[in-house]
Amino acid sequence: MRAEQRNYPLTHSFLLFVILAFCLTGCAHGPLTTDTAPALSLSTGQSYLADASASDRISSPSAKTEKAGDSSDDDLDDFGDDDLDLWDEGSEEETVQVADPLAPFNRVMFHFNDKLYYWVLKPVATGYKSVTPAPVRIGVKNFFHNLSTPIRFANCIFQGKFRTAEVEFARFLINSTAGVLGFGDVAKNNPSFAKPQGEDMGQTLATYGIGNGFYIVWPIMGPSTLRDSVGIFGDRFLSPVTWTDMPTEAAFGLTTFKTVNESSFRLGDYEGIREAAIEPYEAFRDAYLQYRKKKTEGSEGGKGERRYDNLIKEWIK
Amino acid sequence: MKRIISVLLLLLIAFPMTAQSSEKQPMESLQGPLDEVISILKDPQYQGDSQKKLQREKIWNIIRDVFDFERISLLALGKYRKKFNDNQLKEFTDVFGELLEDTYLNKIQAEYKNEKVDYLEQKTKSDRALVKTKVMRENVGIPVDYSLWLNNGAWRVYDIKVEGVSLVKNYRNQFQKILSEKSPAELIEQVKDKVKEQKKGETRAG
Repeated sequence: MRAEQRNYPLTHSFLLFVILAFCLTGCAHGPLTTDTAPALSLSTGQSYLADASASDRISSPSAKTEKAGDSSDDDLDDFGDDDLDLWDEGSEEETVQVADPLAPFNRVMFHFNDKLYYWVLKPVATGYKSVTPAPVRIGVKNFFHNLSTPIRFANCIFQGKFRTAEVEFARFLINSTAGVLGFGDVAKNNPSFAKPQGEDMGQTLATYGIGNGFYIVWPIMGPSTLRDSVGIFGDRFLSPVTWTDMPTEAAFGLTTFKTVNESSFRLGDYEGIREAAIEPYEAFRDAYLQYRKKKTEGSEGGKGERRYDNLIKEWIK
Repeated sequence: MKRIISVLLLLLIAFPMTAQSSEKQPMESLQGPLDEVISILKDPQYQGDSQKKLQREKIWNIIRDVFDFERISLLALGKYRKKFNDNQLKEFTDVFGELLEDTYLNKIQAEYKNEKVDYLEQKTKSDRALVKTKVMRENVGIPVDYSLWLNNGAWRVYDIKVEGVSLVKNYRNQFQKILSEKSPAELIEQVKDKVKEQKKGETRAG
């Protein structure tokens, strides 16, 4: 695959990029996901959420926080300005604003992905789920997550999150050996090796002060922005799958499998957000942007490393 | 005599405690009703198709007291609520509440599969609070945060954030888009159509 990239001109590598991005990310449109690009979906009876693997990557407050009861908390980070804007009905500052110059194209892609989900992915994932026991599906999910460790590890380093990088590295070692090639997540049994929020290159670029650019809906991959698309492209060079001499068909098959497996955990989520929306296109656009905003801002990680990513931010300014 | 003293002592100790707990903590006022909803969802007596309607009513009666639909509607309209007159505002609140009810009750009734809710922490600041939870489905944990405010002495939910995505903001974004081109009356019509569509889907599915 490496050789191919060198030999082929731009158009070809773009095609490869689309295919590989799909390989890496899976069909982001369905309630599934990957380690590099998020998908949007909806939780049972509640509201919006994003990709499956992200869900357990989101930094779990449980590790850091005590169980309830104490209501006197002076630093109310979570009430941030964000929530104040929400509370103040007259507020001029509205929801996350990102330009959408490609709206006509994006809407077509949105409908294409929508049909793809209902007609292809959903029936396939439903069938797969019914014949595959949960422990197997969880094992497969862990395996793919483990395989993409280099992406998250490198992005932790790029962002100066050395503590999280250590955790990713330790998890990789433990799960690849004791977890049998990553099928089991034995590392999480130790609280200090709990699954961290995954870092991807889109987040890295955000740390460097790069904005979203504009919103774009890719066929199959689903919602993204210019920045996050560049991030996905960059991340693929960090994926071990890219560097194996795997035929394109095999890589494609692998990704399809990963996608279907991830979807089996999120069936019904996409429909939820879809059916609750009055303007589905807008609903998914906003959900994607809110989700990414939270991920780029809220990756607190360990206290010790906040210094480093702040340092990077300062340095860029 | 000793006994009387110990009883008195007990009373003295217990009294401040009961006085304190009479004002419910945000997390309690959320967890109690939600646990009740889950137990209704699990209750074998409601599993038959004929019982679904009854089950739904029971759940709705609980949810209605926890979620502040009036507040949710106002916040979802944001600054555009100035465009609405009182009647329109009331109509909007009713129909939007109905939409949320239909959508989410349909979903939890159809798809509840033994998800567990972990209550992680609560933060309070004067009349507002944030309760963080994690919904565990299979081995996937989904962070769900509830924003509550103290409305006449009762903690009520005015927003839910799932994986950082706020329900109110999401609707606000949609309504903004619609209201920048259309009138409040047209938005109300659109939400009504959506409710009708949902109801149709319901009867088809049932």
